[in-house]
Amino acid sequence: MTDLLLQCLVAGRHAAIPASDVQSVIEIEEITPIPGTPEFILGLTALRSQALTVIDCSLALGLDKTVAEDDQRAAVVEIEGHLYALLVDAAYDVGEALSQPVAVPGGFGAGWQRAARGMVETESGPTLLIDTSSLIAGPMVEAA
Amino acid sequence: MDDLLADFVAETREMLEASGGEIVAWEADPSDRARLDTIFRFVHTVKGNCGFFDFPRLEKLSHAAEDALSECRAGRREADSALVSAVLAIIDRISEMTDAIEAGEEFPEGGDDELIAALQGSDDIVVASAVMPEAEPANDQAAGETDSDEGSDNEISAPKPARAQAVQRSIRLPVDLLDEVMKGVSDMVLARNDLSRRLREAGEQPTIDGPFDRLSTILADVRAAITRMRMQRLEHLFSSLPRLVRDLSNELGKQVMVDFEGGEVELDREMIEMVRDPLTHIIRNAIDHGIEGPGERLKNCKREIGLLRFAARQAGNQISLVVSDDGRGIDTARLADKAVAAGLYSQSEVDRMSDRRKHLLIFEPGLSTANEVSSVSGRGVGMDVVRANIERVGGSIDVVSKPGEGASFHLKLPLTLSIIAALTVGAGGQRYAIPRSYVEEIVFGSSSNVEFATAGDRRLVTFRDKRVPCLALGDILGIDEIDDAEWDSKTLVLIRLASDDVFALAVDRVFDHEDVVVKPIAPAVMETRLYGGTTLLDDGRPMMLLDLPSIATNRLHMGEGRTTDVVEEEVVETGRKAVPIMLFAGLDDRKRAVRLDMVRRIDTVSREAIDIEGKRAQAVIDGSVFALLGLEFGKLPQDRCRLLRLTDGESEVVYAVNEVLDAADMDGEIIPSQDDPLIEGVTLIGSSLVPVLDGHALFAQQRVQRRTQEVLSCRIPGDSDWARTILEPLVEAAGYRIAADDGEDADVEIQLAETAQPEHPASARSVIRLTQDPDNAGADGDAIYRYDRGGLLAALKQARLGRTA
Repeated sequence: MTDLLLQCLVAGRHAAIPASDVQSVIEIEEITPIPGTPEFILGLTALRSQALTVIDCSLALGLDKTVAEDDQRAAVVEIEGHLYALLVDAAYDVGEALSQPVAVPGGFGAGWQRAARGMVETESGPTLLIDTSSLIAGPMVEAA
Repeated sequence: MDDLLADFVAETREMLEASGGEIVAWEADPSDRARLDTIFRFVHTVKGNCGFFDFPRLEKLSHAAEDALSECRAGRREADSALVSAVLAIIDRISEMTDAIEAGEEFPEGGDDELIAALQGSDDIVVASAVMPEAEPANDQAAGETDSDEGSDNEISAPKPARAQAVQRSIRLPVDLLDEVMKGVSDMVLARNDLSRRLREAGEQPTIDGPFDRLSTILADVRAAITRMRMQRLEHLFSSLPRLVRDLSNELGKQVMVDFEGGEVELDREMIEMVRDPLTHIIRNAIDHGIEGPGERLKNCKREIGLLRFAARQAGNQISLVVSDDGRGIDTARLADKAVAAGLYSQSEVDRMSDRRKHLLIFEPGLSTANEVSSVSGRGVGMDVVRANIERVGGSIDVVSKPGEGASFHLKLPLTLSIIAALTVGAGGQRYAIPRSYVEEIVFGSSSNVEFATAGDRRLVTFRDKRVPCLALGDILGIDEIDDAEWDSKTLVLIRLASDDVFALAVDRVFDHEDVVVKPIAPAVMETRLYGGTTLLDDGRPMMLLDLPSIATNRLHMGEGRTTDVVEEEVVETGRKAVPIMLFAGLDDRKRAVRLDMVRRIDTVSREAIDIEGKRAQAVIDGSVFALLGLEFGKLPQDRCRLLRLTDGESEVVYAVNEVLDAADMDGEIIPSQDDPLIEGVTLIGSSLVPVLDGHALFAQQRVQRRTQEVLSCRIPGDSDWARTILEPLVEAAGYRIAADDGEDADVEIQLAETAQPEHPASARSVIRLTQDPDNAGADGDAIYRYDRGGLLAALKQARLGRTA
């Protein structure tokens, strides 16, 4: 398997997004908030003439908010015709997947389990492969 | 028809291009079945289309080729190279003929039969060499004729390109590609805006500003052209309708004529596709339910043939499309019954509805006036779906119906799916866009016409006597809590939804009108049911477009038509009590009011037309004299005076004011005022107390001479200077008209005792005799002393009473 992965840091953990999904990695300067949306939707940002919905990956996983840094990096992905900017702690290189995504006995932990396709081996060690369409659905609403 | 022809040409050419490779491959291997099928389909399609257009030669050629090829397909004939050449010759000929059709030229006669004969398997070499060269020069000649003004050089060297120029060529493009280009242009516009801002910041730079302006102009042109690329004439939609109408009316045993207007109006291609289904449904509905059968029509003195009219018009950024029939109109009673039966409304709710409300029931889900589900109307889609579809593309639909005269559906459609006229408003430090079609009015919360109230937790606002629910945008979005005191600082945008529901949206401020390009938003954002899309501001920042119908549905349960009744009813109630009044500023600039019914008109006169002497004040308007009131409050302006002309139905007075302010409705009570006899009382208009003039007191004070319908005439002695100069004005002031000298029957005659000729017959019904000598008065019959003013007036009054009694 020679899938390319965008390696990044989400909530302090190594994670990867299939590079074929990623159109580009951008630095987000300004986010226009959208009142009334779930917390993990930070708002909109403009990429040329297109508006991207900015998703905080950590919040979308049900984890703590992404630490605000000076240059916020986000991976631009297109899902069902809509463009999203997935905000990550840091974005690294594009690397090769060295294995098929595999499940780990006991799971990856709450939050991660839902949005992860599995664990893949990379040159920099085991990494969680993120399923972007599950990610943008946001954390599950707890059944009352 | 021209459009259809262009389509035919485009389609044929497209197939030629596509099959070009196939033909070559077939030539290489005539036994290749797949290639054979492709070419067969091509000639078959051409044949079918030709029959439609009446091109007998094309049809004959393609038919012959089709026959030969189908023989091969059936295995009755071997596809040899002779056949391939013959078919190819025919395809070439079709291509040439298509070019000629597009250019609007006659294709030279002859040659067809040889081509067809070649298919029969005769000497193919002869055909290929003899016929084709023959066709070429003929073709060139035709081209040369049409372009003869381009010069003979051109004709000889490059006849083919020359012909191509004469034709407006069209190509087919995928819509995706157009969208891509459009997006690119939008990007360019944003980049330009960004650049423009930076240039402004950098100050004036003539060397850059010039080219930059040129770039801006070009960009604007390109943008307009791109937008036009997406446009299509409404004819495209219309052209398919006659057939639909014909089929439907045949099916239902009705006769219907169609009439189109405004086919030249252009609409976004996608929009045309979006309205096709709703329109079809409206037509079905009209033919099935609206237009009566021929027998019934004749009975109702209508033409046997029903009429279905389509009228399109462009109004700014909107297209209005009206579909009207001259049928029996909407059956409101049955519609109402259905609504009750379907459990949508209670009987009492329906009873209270106005006719218009009842008409709108047609858009309610689950209603159809047809008793039986017919194959035409009853396909499970109701007018509710039509409305939903129209509203989804940002349009609106309304219906007007007159019993026995027909119904018309009014559709309003935005020009494009993606560009809408919007109003930008601010809340919580951010900007939002509202589709302008919903905006009815913008008022400031601080305006005196606006009154806030609360009912439970619901905030209401009263404006123009309507009490409508009020929502604060900041509150809806959950970004801003509003204190009671803050409402005054808000701007209210009155929103009228397609369902005619009205509510007020309080925003921090209103920015601007602009056309915005709306883009879809992510599903997770859609789920909030607050936004309809997103758009980019000039500086490239995103802005959300509010989804007002859905906000109204969620927050106010509006849009389902329920609340309207309540609001409407309320208005009717207050409307009955409300008395229209006119607000004005008196000469002391204080606000007062007078009942509007009393005001006959407003005059502006110059100061010279007003005469004031002591207690007497009069004004002359159009040659008539009026008593002037309202002077107790201040001095008249120096030059021109505004006067309210008040009437009690009989007589008139004028009332001096400084300024006429507004008309308003007095819906509160009048608190009687005892102190000022000229004031009826004070009432609350908006939030301020306003004294209302007491009409009764005004006219009572004046005791204005009643303007009788019939003016009595009085004859006075014509030969007496005294009578003319002294008596005449007095008689006139008493309300008499001076009769002409002779020959006219006067109601009263005044005679002077000393000069009167007793033998002169009194031509009037009553006679008053005057005497110069006070001592003679009374003694000499009924004579009155000529300076006994009271006696004379009493006599005149007596005469009047005798006349009118």
